[in-house]
Amino acid sequence: MTLQDFMPILPEMVLLATAVAVLMVDTFLGDKRWLTWVGLVGVLLAGAATYWLALQPPADFQDMAASDAYTAFFRLVILVVTGLGLLMAMNWLEAHGEQQGEYNALLLLAAIGMTLMAAATHMLTLFVALELFSLCLYILAGFERERASSGEAALKYLLLGAFSSALFLYGIALVYAATGALTFAGIAQKASLSPLFLAGVGLLIVGFGFKVAAVPFHMWTPDVYQGAPTPVTAYMSVATKAAAFAAFVRLFVGTLGVEKSAWVPALAALAVLTMVVGNLAALSQHSLKRMLAYSSIAHAGYVLVGLAAANTTGTAAVLFYLLVYAFMNLGAFAVVIALERQGEGDVTLSQMRGLARTHPLLAAAMAIFMFSLTGVPPFAGFFGKLYLFQAAVQANLTWLAVIGVISSAVSAYYYLNVLVQIYMADPETPPTLAWRPVLGLATLVAVVFVVGIGLFPDFWLQLALGGMRVILG
Amino acid sequence: MVLQAVFLITALLTLGSALMVVLHRNLFISALFLIASFFGVAVFYVLLEAEFLAVAQVLIYIGAIATLIVFAIMLSRGMMTGRTSPRNAQALWAAGGSLALGAALLYVVVFRVQWPVAEKAVPADMIQRLGTGLVTDYVVPFELASLLLMAALIGAVMIAREKEV
Amino acid sequence: MIPLSWYLAVAAILFVIGFYGVLSRRNAIAILMGIELMLNAVNLNLVAFWRYTQPDQVAGQVFAIIVITVAAAEAAVGLALFIALYRLRGTVHIDEIDLLRG
Repeated sequence: MTLQDFMPILPEMVLLATAVAVLMVDTFLGDKRWLTWVGLVGVLLAGAATYWLALQPPADFQDMAASDAYTAFFRLVILVVTGLGLLMAMNWLEAHGEQQGEYNALLLLAAIGMTLMAAATHMLTLFVALELFSLCLYILAGFERERASSGEAALKYLLLGAFSSALFLYGIALVYAATGALTFAGIAQKASLSPLFLAGVGLLIVGFGFKVAAVPFHMWTPDVYQGAPTPVTAYMSVATKAAAFAAFVRLFVGTLGVEKSAWVPALAALAVLTMVVGNLAALSQHSLKRMLAYSSIAHAGYVLVGLAAANTTGTAAVLFYLLVYAFMNLGAFAVVIALERQGEGDVTLSQMRGLARTHPLLAAAMAIFMFSLTGVPPFAGFFGKLYLFQAAVQANLTWLAVIGVISSAVSAYYYLNVLVQIYMADPETPPTLAWRPVLGLATLVAVVFVVGIGLFPDFWLQLALGGMRVILG
Repeated sequence: MVLQAVFLITALLTLGSALMVVLHRNLFISALFLIASFFGVAVFYVLLEAEFLAVAQVLIYIGAIATLIVFAIMLSRGMMTGRTSPRNAQALWAAGGSLALGAALLYVVVFRVQWPVAEKAVPADMIQRLGTGLVTDYVVPFELASLLLMAALIGAVMIAREKEV
Repeated sequence: MIPLSWYLAVAAILFVIGFYGVLSRRNAIAILMGIELMLNAVNLNLVAFWRYTQPDQVAGQVFAIIVITVAAAEAAVGLALFIALYRLRGTVHIDEIDLLRG
């Protein structure tokens, strides 16, 4: 083994070095705010490594992890999300007096697990990567130690997460029994429609269903998203979805594509349930974080539509949507962080009242995110949904696209309700915000991308298509 | 014959203990049965000629995990005696669901497949192969697992420590 | 020689027992114990497949070792959370954790 062999996982090694550097610097440094910038430099370096790797011919690391255009796309998404996650947490950690070093290091370790999820071509890598980022997120969810709901969210997340991992593992074991292989390539060769194999695949779907919060495996989501510290909720709501769907698409569309007829109906049913239940439940929420939790469930449903379509356009749309969703959802959560009062860990809808009068810029940003989440042109969210539903129609799943359109029409009600509160209602008590410049920067980046991707969707779609061609050959 | 008798007795003890883990109303006794159940699985590993795993099972599952669980129970006051591990409201549904899942799994795994009989012997240098495998072919998962342990270490210390103000 | 299906049957039953434990318990530690039983069942599966189908390779055993590692890490963090929460609230029943409802 030479150093050259390790090149396909260079970005992960950079991230690891950064995580260790953050931990080390933490012990020597007085001003902990520098840790965020150390982490950010590491993320940028990992991004540069990703870009450099994307220019090289595709390579893989001992059949364990592949570095190709598909991996590069998700590395990009996850690195951007991680960078924004670091920025969004900085002022928050300072204000709450929490450990900055541990927070940033755990976030970077989680990012390693997530990018390797996208790169994994072996069940073992897939499983350990999944557990690595999940474990980091369990800890981060319980980060606000003096607020009981944070610890409760973490414990609930851990128990449900470990439970779903056990189901997922049993699925892997059954697939291993049916095919005798653990590499994706080996599984694809030996795949058959035997009951044993189908049982394994079914359990894998359940495991992924938990991770992406698809109905009926979503019951942990609202509690965990509400209880976890808001910067953590923001990060996991987008990054977990990106990582889990990355592996989901590579494993199902890529590896099990031939046996499509066996799993497409199951995914279509999951998509319908997830869109409908997520959107309906979001209607009656008063807590902004809970509302966004149900909304994130609904968005997982839209993504599942693209997965059920299982063609090139559908899966490219999945990639595109995950990118877009990352920016618009992170942005919405950034506004929640800005509004959050010390020690409460949550923001109610009525707290948003009259925000436009006191903080017009923040209100405008929130408006852009809400319009984009609804799917109003010309913002990025519109094109995301357009591509997903188009793909469903192409795959003769028109009924699925119709349900998707109807349920996103329902979602307009609760997204626009937020705007009504911001622009129309009079403030009960005028919201007072602490000046948090770094949080503002993160919000600005999110706005730029939500508008920018909306104006030039083609460039990003081509990138996603490039990634998918690798998977589908 | 002897092997099969050993297998059946171990199976009976393992599954019986596992049942007691999920049915007994006292948390502490559940934990003790959990240890018995872990031990039964270790015996299976010996029967399967996976000696290294049998040792790892005893050291990690019984020596670390079960001990941690017992510690946690003893650290929380009032968990040692009495009916400390109640069932929740959905226990009946859970029982039905579990029986259905069990029937389906048994049907698929045991009755629908012609399993091969073990022809090949386990190589004598299995443990060397395992060690070499972990740092060559499986170095990525191995290193990831070490990161996982590092994260767990940081996290467990951070969470359990009182916050200094 | 013991047939492979015996091992698989034991593993399946062990898995289902753990599954029932997770779904039917209120106490967080009891739920964790159910999860550990499920993970043991998976490992038994993996090792049995390894022995009967490809004993000259190491994949099955490596997987089992990694699963044990993961189980230990999860138990450590889970119990740390449990202790921290118990100190804060004095309850460990997962369905009494109702601060987050509605």
